[in-house]
Amino acid sequence: MTKPILDVSRVSKSFGGLRALQDVNLQVMEGSIHSLIGPNGAGKSTLLNVMTGLLQPDEGTITFDGRTLQNVTPHEINQYGIAKVFQTPAIFPEMTLLENTLIPAFARRDGSFRANLFETPEHAHEVYEQAEEALAEVGLQDHMKQEARYLSRGDKRRLELAICLVQKPKLLLLDEPTAGMARHETESTIQLLKQISSKGMTKVIVEHDMSVVFSLSDRITVLAQGQIIAEGGPDEVRGNPKVIEAYLGEEQE
Amino acid sequence: MSGSLINHVFLQILTGLQLGAIYVLIALGLTLIFGTLGVVNFAHGALFMLGAYFAVIIAGKFGFLTAIIAVPFLLFIIGIIMERGLIRFFYNRPHTDQILVTFGLAIVVQETLKWIFGANNIPFPLPRWGGGILKLHEWLPFLEGFVAYPKWRMILIFVSLVTVAALFALLQFTRFGLIVRAGMRDSEMLRFLGINITRRFAIVFGLGAMIAGIAGAFGGPVTQVDPEVGMAFLVPSFLVVVIGGMGSLPGAVLAGFMLGMAISFSAQYSAIQQIIIYLVAVIVLLVRPRGLLGQKGVMEE
Amino acid sequence: MPVIVFAVIALTMPFWFPLVGGYAGLDTKILIWAIFAIGFDILLGFTGYLSFGHAAFFGVSAYVTGLMLLHYSANIIPAMIASVIVTTIIAVMVGFLTLRRSGIYFSILTLAFGEMFYAAALSIFSDWTGGDNGLTGLPTPELFSMPFKENNVFYLVAVLAIIGYYIARRIGNSPFGMMLRAVKSNQTRLEFTGLDVKKYKLSAFVISAIYASVAGSLMVIYEPYVATEFVHWSTSGKLVIMSVLGGVGTLFGPMIGAAFMLYFENVISAFLQEQWLLVLGLVFMFIVIFLPGGFVEGAQRLKRAIAGKAGDGNASKGASE
Repeated sequence: MTKPILDVSRVSKSFGGLRALQDVNLQVMEGSIHSLIGPNGAGKSTLLNVMTGLLQPDEGTITFDGRTLQNVTPHEINQYGIAKVFQTPAIFPEMTLLENTLIPAFARRDGSFRANLFETPEHAHEVYEQAEEALAEVGLQDHMKQEARYLSRGDKRRLELAICLVQKPKLLLLDEPTAGMARHETESTIQLLKQISSKGMTKVIVEHDMSVVFSLSDRITVLAQGQIIAEGGPDEVRGNPKVIEAYLGEEQE
Repeated sequence: MSGSLINHVFLQILTGLQLGAIYVLIALGLTLIFGTLGVVNFAHGALFMLGAYFAVIIAGKFGFLTAIIAVPFLLFIIGIIMERGLIRFFYNRPHTDQILVTFGLAIVVQETLKWIFGANNIPFPLPRWGGGILKLHEWLPFLEGFVAYPKWRMILIFVSLVTVAALFALLQFTRFGLIVRAGMRDSEMLRFLGINITRRFAIVFGLGAMIAGIAGAFGGPVTQVDPEVGMAFLVPSFLVVVIGGMGSLPGAVLAGFMLGMAISFSAQYSAIQQIIIYLVAVIVLLVRPRGLLGQKGVMEE
Repeated sequence: MPVIVFAVIALTMPFWFPLVGGYAGLDTKILIWAIFAIGFDILLGFTGYLSFGHAAFFGVSAYVTGLMLLHYSANIIPAMIASVIVTTIIAVMVGFLTLRRSGIYFSILTLAFGEMFYAAALSIFSDWTGGDNGLTGLPTPELFSMPFKENNVFYLVAVLAIIGYYIARRIGNSPFGMMLRAVKSNQTRLEFTGLDVKKYKLSAFVISAIYASVAGSLMVIYEPYVATEFVHWSTSGKLVIMSVLGGVGTLFGPMIGAAFMLYFENVISAFLQEQWLLVLGLVFMFIVIFLPGGFVEGAQRLKRAIAGKAGDGNASKGASE
C-alpha cells in the first residue's frame, strides 16, 4: 500500500494562453482509491487526459508502474494496465453484452493487434469465462445475448465497468462515474465500486458528487485553477479552509 | 528575366487562376456545408452541373444576362428544397448514410440530364460582350510585345474573386454570418445558447448551392456541359477541401488556386498534368494531415 | 450451413439461370461481382468505412492480369498471383493515406485516389494500358495449357466465390471480425480497450482490396480485355450501390445486390432502355432513405409482418427491435 503506482511530477499544460495545469505533483498509492475534486475549470479533466496519453503535457513527466508515459497512444496506455471509465458510458451499443466483454478479454490475451482471422471465439474457453465472469461481477449475467444499446444508463455504466474489469487493470480511471444518474443509480454504483475495490485495484476518480467522493476515497486531491490546493484523507480535506474558499468562490460567480 | 519568360509565366498564372476559379467556387460550397451542417454533399457536383445546364437553357431563350441573374437564384431555391426535403432527415443518421443518399441523388440528377439532353456535350455559346480576347499588354506595362487572353476567362476569374469576397463579407459583417461562423466552430455550443441554427441550415445549404450555380453559369462555357461534368469536378473539389483543411473557407480558396496553378504549370508535361493534383494532395496529407489551414478537432474521432 | 446453400445455388446456376432470362456468361459475371461485393462488405459492413475507390484495386488488378497474360504467360496462376501482390501493396499505401482520420474523410479521399489511378492509367501509363482503348489483344487464358473459356471460367469463378464467402464468414465469426464490428460501433472505446484500431482498419481495407483484386483478375480471365471503366469511379459506385441494395454487413446481402444489379443492368434494362440507371438511382435512394438494411432487412421485415399476422403472440417480437 505504500508504493506509488502513478507518479505525476511537475506537470504543466496550457491551451493557447490558458494554463490548465500548473506544476502539478501527484502520487497515487497502489491499492488506494484516490479522488480528484475541484470547481469547474479546475483542470481535472485535463489531468485525466494527460494521464491517459490523450494529451501531452508541456512540461513534467508521468510515471506509471515504473514506466515513463511519453508519446503513447490510448491503446498502449491500456495495454500497460490503465483502464478508463468515461463520463458518458462508452460501450459497444450495437453489440451484445457478451461481445462487449469478450473484446477486452481478447485484447488481454492477444495484445493490441492479432490477425486471428479464423479462430472460433466459442473455442476460446478461457476468454469466454473471463467475459462471463466480468458480467456476473456487475450483475449483468442474465442478459448476455442482448444488445447493449437497450440497457438503462445505470446498466450501461455497469457494462462499461465490466469491460474495464475483464482486463484486470492495475489502475482504473473513472471520469465522473455517477454523472447524469438518478439517486438510486448513484447509490448502486457506489456499492459496485466498493465491491470491486475490495480486490485491491487502484482507482482514480474524478467526481462532482461529494457523497460519492467522501464515501469511497482513501485520499482526496483538490484542484483549483490548475493547481493543487489541498491533499489528504477525507476528513482533512473536509475541514480545509482553502477548499471551502475555492468552492465558495465558484458559487459567487 | 527575359520578356518572353515574364509573358509566359504571367499567362500561366492566369490559366492557373482560371482553372482554380471553378474549383474554388465548388469547394467553397462544399466546405461551407460541411463546416456548418457536418454533411458531405456528394451531390454538389450535380448542383454545379445543374447550374451549367440551366444557364445554357436560359441564356438561349432570354439572353445571358437573365441567365446569370436567374441561375444563382434558382440554385439557391433548389438548395433549400434539397435541405428541407432530404438532407435534414439525415442529420441524426450515420455519416455514411448522408454520403450514400447524396451520392444517389447525384446519380439521379446525372441520369435525368442524360435522359433529357443526351450524353453529349451541349454547346454553350458566349454572349457577344464576353467573347474575343483581351489585349493585356495594353494594360500591363511589364508585358512585352503582344500578350492576349480570352476575355471570358478573365471574367470567370473576376467573378470568382468577387464571389469569394462577397461570401467572406457576408460571414464577417452580418449577424447571420456571425452565427454561421460560430456554428462552424462549435454547433453544439450554439444550440446550448438557444440559438436556432437548424433554421439557418437551409439558408447555408442554399448559399452553397448558389455558389455552385455561379460556378456552373460562368464556368460552363469553359468546361463542358455534359452529364459527366458534375462528377468530373466533384473529385478535384473534394481534394481542394481536404488540402485546404475540412471546414476552412480560406483554406478552400488557397488550395483551389494552388491546384489550378499546379495544373497550369505542369502543362509542359502532359502526362504528369493529369495526376498532378493527386500528387499535391498526397504530399500535403503526408506533411500536414489536417490540410493547410485545417483546425484541430475537425473530422477527428 | 449458409455456405452450403450458397454453394448449391452458385454451382447450379448454369442450369436455372437461363430460365429467368439470363444469358450465358452473365452468371459468371454475377459471381465475379459477388466476390468483389463480399470483400467490400468486410470493410463497409463490418467497420462501417465507406470506400468510393475500390475500382482502383479491381482495375489495377485487371491491368496486371492483362499485362501478365500478354507479356509473360497465358497461364492464369502467375497472372492472378502477380495481381494480388501488386494490389495488396497499393492497398497498404492507399489505406495508410486515407485511414488517418474519420470516416467521411476516408470516403472523400478514396474517391479521389481512386480517380488518381484512372487518370494515371489514361496518361502516364497509357503505353502499357492502351489508354482510352483499353488493353486489347490478350491471348485466351489457360491453366496448364487447358484453355479457359465459358464453362471452365464459370466453375473457377464459382469455386472461388464459394471459398471467398466461406472465408468471409469465418472472418466474421472470428475475434478479428468482432474487433472490426467494434470499430463501427465505438472506436474510442476500442482504442481505450487496448486495441490498435488503425491496424484493424488497415487490415480490413487490405483484405477487401484482395477480394477486389481476385474479382478484377477473374474479370479479365472471363473476358480477355481490360476496359478503362474498370478503374473508373462508376465501378466503385456500382459496388457501393449493390452492397447497400442487398444489405450491408450481412455478407449474403451484397451478393444478392450484385445479382440484382447485374440482372437489372442486363435483363431488365431491355424494358427501361437508357433510363435503367435513373430507375436504379431512384431505387437506391429509396432504399437508403427507408430501408437502410437493404433487401435483407426488407425480407426480415416481411417475414415478421407475415408471422405477426399469423399469430398475435409473435407480434411483440417485432416491436422490440
